[in-house]
Amino acid sequence: MQREEIIEKINGYLADEFEIDPDKMRPEANLRETLDLDSLDYIDLVVVIESNFQIKVKPEDFTNIVTFENFYDYVIYNGKEELV
Amino acid sequence: MKCALVTGGSRGIGRAICYKMAEMGYYVLVNYKSNAAEADKTLVQIIENGGGGELLKFDVADKTDIKKVLEGWIEANTGKYIEVLVNNAGIKDDMLMMWMKDEQWENVIKTSLDGFFYVTRMVLSDMLVRKYGRIVNVVSLSGLKGLPGQVNYSAAKAGVIGATKALAQEVGRRGITVNAVAPGFIKTDMTEGLDEKELGSMIPVKRFGTPEEVAHAVGFLASSEATYITGEILSVNGGLYS
Repeated sequence: MQREEIIEKINGYLADEFEIDPDKMRPEANLRETLDLDSLDYIDLVVVIESNFQIKVKPEDFTNIVTFENFYDYVIYNGKEELV
Repeated sequence: MKCALVTGGSRGIGRAICYKMAEMGYYVLVNYKSNAAEADKTLVQIIENGGGGELLKFDVADKTDIKKVLEGWIEANTGKYIEVLVNNAGIKDDMLMMWMKDEQWENVIKTSLDGFFYVTRMVLSDMLVRKYGRIVNVVSLSGLKGLPGQVNYSAAKAGVIGATKALAQEVGRRGITVNAVAPGFIKTDMTEGLDEKELGSMIPVKRFGTPEEVAHAVGFLASSEATYITGEILSVNGGLYS
């Protein structure tokens, strides 16, 4: 799967879960601010990742995830979707 | 298939809860630690009444055992999922604190409090993904009021009460409710040897309760209708303490 396709999938899941306009999900945008995440919202984010990409998320994984780009990299690097 | 896991389901209140869950249409996972004969009786009765279920033997005080058996069951049964969890398993080992041994403290805490934590954490993921779940913790009057001779038991149950309220706030947004039922004096092995006549005189209802009366409260909180009740501790004690 192409990187762009995976990103599209991720954005689709996030748009559904957080009811947010996909246009706001730009690579350089701040993930927490854009999705308006408080600490409990991270549960929803973790569920999106774990159930759709079969990744076991650890709390410390979020330390280096600031932007959407960081988030895409994390899912692509740790997930089971193969890049072509 | 929708399942209800009841820890400590072989006897007493746990057994009555298993029957209630079966009556509500759940496939019941009857957890027990050591008394296979009594656990089997519970399951046989469920099946004779037209329900379904199976036994799941693990010690809630042993996180390795929980991981091996419960995680193993979850992985092997992808078509079934645990929609209702009733953390009922508990032991008491009473002693005045000045004489309480380390193991009396540790065993009681491990079974009630650690058991709640490790079992619940394991079934929570599926509930979060499915955006629905019912967790009911069986606590005790002892955890609300504190009872002399039960510093260990009161502490363990009070711990579960705090955890109930905290977890309810964490997962409410995902359709999962977390509540507790706090029985008073209930006719079970645990209260055998207590003088019902003497103690009953202090209870407004003037008698001990039955396991079925506790199971009814658990069934209510586990029902799909109890959607807007979470973080609540429901006393079933005949008015003894409120």
